[in-house]
Amino acid sequence: MPPKQIQLTVQNISKSFAGKGGDVNVLDDLSFTINERDFVSIIGPSGCGKTTIFNIIAGLLEPDGGTITYRGKEIESLRGRVGYMMQKDLLFPWRTVMGNVLLGLETRGVDQKEAEEKAREYLKQFGLAGFENAYPKTLSGGMRQRVALIRTLIMDPDILLLDEPFSALDYQTRLYLEGVLKDAVQTYNKTVILVTHDIDEAVALSKRVVVLSGRPARVKVVHEIDIEATSPITARNDVKFSTYFKTLCAELDIQTETTS
Amino acid sequence: MSLVMSGTSARKKAVPRKSRKKRSTFDTTLGRAVLQLLGVAIFFALWEAGVHAGYISAFLMGSPSGIFATFYKLILSGELLSDSWYTLFEAILGFIIGTIFGSLFGLALWYSVFVAKLVEPFIVAINSVPKIALAPIVVLWFGTGLISKVALAVSLTALVALIAAYQAAKDADVDLQSLMISMGADKHQVFWKAVVPSTLPSIIATFRINIGFGLVGAVVGEFISSQRGLGHMIFLASSLYDLNSVWVGLFTLMILGFVLYYVIDIIERTSLPWKQATTSHQVQV
Ligand SMILES: Nc1ncnc2c1ncn2[C@@H]1O[C@H](COP(=O)(O)OP(=O)(O)OP(=O)(O)O)[C@@H](O)[C@H]1O
Ligand SMILES: [Mg+2]
Repeated sequence: MPPKQIQLTVQNISKSFAGKGGDVNVLDDLSFTINERDFVSIIGPSGCGKTTIFNIIAGLLEPDGGTITYRGKEIESLRGRVGYMMQKDLLFPWRTVMGNVLLGLETRGVDQKEAEEKAREYLKQFGLAGFENAYPKTLSGGMRQRVALIRTLIMDPDILLLDEPFSALDYQTRLYLEGVLKDAVQTYNKTVILVTHDIDEAVALSKRVVVLSGRPARVKVVHEIDIEATSPITARNDVKFSTYFKTLCAELDIQTETTS
Repeated sequence: MSLVMSGTSARKKAVPRKSRKKRSTFDTTLGRAVLQLLGVAIFFALWEAGVHAGYISAFLMGSPSGIFATFYKLILSGELLSDSWYTLFEAILGFIIGTIFGSLFGLALWYSVFVAKLVEPFIVAINSVPKIALAPIVVLWFGTGLISKVALAVSLTALVALIAAYQAAKDADVDLQSLMISMGADKHQVFWKAVVPSTLPSIIATFRINIGFGLVGAVVGEFISSQRGLGHMIFLASSLYDLNSVWVGLFTLMILGFVLYYVIDIIERTSLPWKQATTSHQVQV
């Protein structure tokens, strides 16, 4: 195995929001690193600042302090280079499936014909061929998430930021989409940071799991997940799966006990 | 659970089946039209009967037979048609100009929160003036011709469109805009791809109100001073106590408003196909 190269470093990031009763310290001195082609899950109590981290990396929020280093260079944010899939499925209701998928390429000014061809390929691969002209309203939740995933992947971003992408879906659809995601990440060689509340999902998909403490968020532990499985379903059958699962549960339980 | 519940659920099932309403034979497009026309016919018949029996003064109220005779006469002479066209033209022109300028200005305020906050009290102040009160000045400024009526219609419609567009742009989904920003979109792209499309339903919703305001502007302008148009015709006839002609004018305005409303309806449906999935479907209570 070649030595792991660091792709993204988040260092000493802090962020507070002005709240009613004074400032709310959401992130305080948060640091972690992401390797090239990493698959990192971030888990932590609700409201601890996971979405805030993503917003900072994506350039939607400015941190109060700290640095982001990308492939050796210090940068403001990864705006324009990340594929950000937000917590709620955010399809443009007035755009068709095709229109939604093309959104990013359009803003980038890619040739329409070329973009559409690429989109058709993706749609076919994700089992959405024939739905090009459907409006999001007429799709099922799982289909909408697939469209959002294609929209994210088709831009060929350096890093995927997935904020609880499957949390609103039923278990079967979630299992299926986890497989779709894992395959896509492997085919397109993507780095993924996944926020999830689902420990099961985190263990089944990731190479590493970052456990955050309650607000202000700090990295509590990072667990390397050493499961060599081809799919998230077989990963769940791995002998080590339940050990990881129990460990992470324990981590989170301790969290909730001390912070609540 | 299903075993325990099966007895009660079987009994329950019978209830909705029995209570499911059978649609009345009149609850179809044709059936409703028949009922509606019947209502109108009864209304006119009562009116006519009242006039004949002497309960209703034909001098102050006119009579349906007189109205139809006048209607027929004015159609044949071509006056009614030319007056209608004139008023319709003023109203539509005022509506289009007012709506376009109002909407564009309202949308443009999205670009700068500073400017928006600066002009907001002025917009509220101007909006609180009953625009009809401007009619005499508008006629002074723009003369007695077409322009003054269009200007009046514009003054009525522009602010409605402006406020609706501004409000809708302010309320546009922030997450959609954030998503575009994370993709590297610039402000113009966010404006055209995220903000403008999301304001369209609100802007189009103002068409319904504004087409009516366009007609109001045109007719009031004609009341004040004009040689043509339905407003002119109504004003002139009422000063001559020609109630039948007044009614012809009013009913013609009603028909114009009615037709325009449905034209807007078609525009709304064809321009927002993505909305159709919900608007055509109503929950049966
Ligand atoms: N724009 C904002 N203004 C003020 N407070 C905010 C803002 N955004 C987030 N917060 C606060 O910051 C804290 C962290 O929010 P964040 O959305 O990052 O949590 P999260 O970890 O993603 O939670 P969840 O798991 O429930 O999605 C919350 O307490 C929230 O109220
Ligand atoms: Mg969140």
